[in-house]
Amino acid sequence: MDNLIGVNPSSILVHGPTKLLVDAYLWHDANLGMIASYTPTLFDVNDHFGIFRGVDMVEAFAQAINASCGFFIESKKLNCNLDVLKAEFTPLFLSIGQVNFMGFLEEGEKMICVGQIKQYKFRQMTCDGRIYKVPHSFDLHSYFENYTSEQFLAFDFPEDFLPIAELTNIVGKVIKKEKMLK
Amino acid sequence: MERQEIFDGLLEIFRSVRQIDPEKLKNATEETDLVADLNVPSTERINIVIKAEQVFDVQFDDDDVDDLGSKMKDLINLIIETKKIV
Repeated sequence: MDNLIGVNPSSILVHGPTKLLVDAYLWHDANLGMIASYTPTLFDVNDHFGIFRGVDMVEAFAQAINASCGFFIESKKLNCNLDVLKAEFTPLFLSIGQVNFMGFLEEGEKMICVGQIKQYKFRQMTCDGRIYKVPHSFDLHSYFENYTSEQFLAFDFPEDFLPIAELTNIVGKVIKKEKMLK
Repeated sequence: MERQEIFDGLLEIFRSVRQIDPEKLKNATEETDLVADLNVPSTERINIVIKAEQVFDVQFDDDDVDDLGSKMKDLINLIIETKKIV
């Protein structure tokens, strides 16, 4: 497996169904980063005037990029499959550098998280990136099938992809579960 | 490489870390704790370890860094142990 495209996020992330905020991996390069999609549900916007919370957008970004990419890199380094890794490791959200919001999402609107890996060392990942609202009928899988690294690094997207947030220094770590118990 | 030499090298690294108050380094010892005494954020600890790898020309194991304590002596010991293996 060269990347996470086609893998069900629930098979790599340890979050339960109501807290899993990644629908699909669309583009992935182990060294560069990830593009993943999510559409907020009624549950996600409940008691929040129909709007997907900003903190949940950041959480979705961290799940899609820091956790998913971190797990993938570790599975390669340790030469083990994702199930074994998932049993031994857990993702940890460490810090947020800065987030600027430029828009919002309502229930049923689709977003993509675009995360570029700045550093990965000692199982800790620092990422920058953006979140875009995308037209609901847009065929994301087809669009990203031939998407290039150059496009990814330049945030090259169609004009009808609306920037919702810009994130810098999002830090997460893949940690051994035994360490969490101490 | 002597412990004192490593200690001095680590102090140099710490002086380059924006989050560390240089005043707090004046009385630093091997017992100085990066978190409790120097208020180094957990995310920055990794950057310090990465700089230590470069300065002391060593490569730490992921598990060893996971197990690393937060005192200066812990990092000194890791550098010495890693150099021995190499």
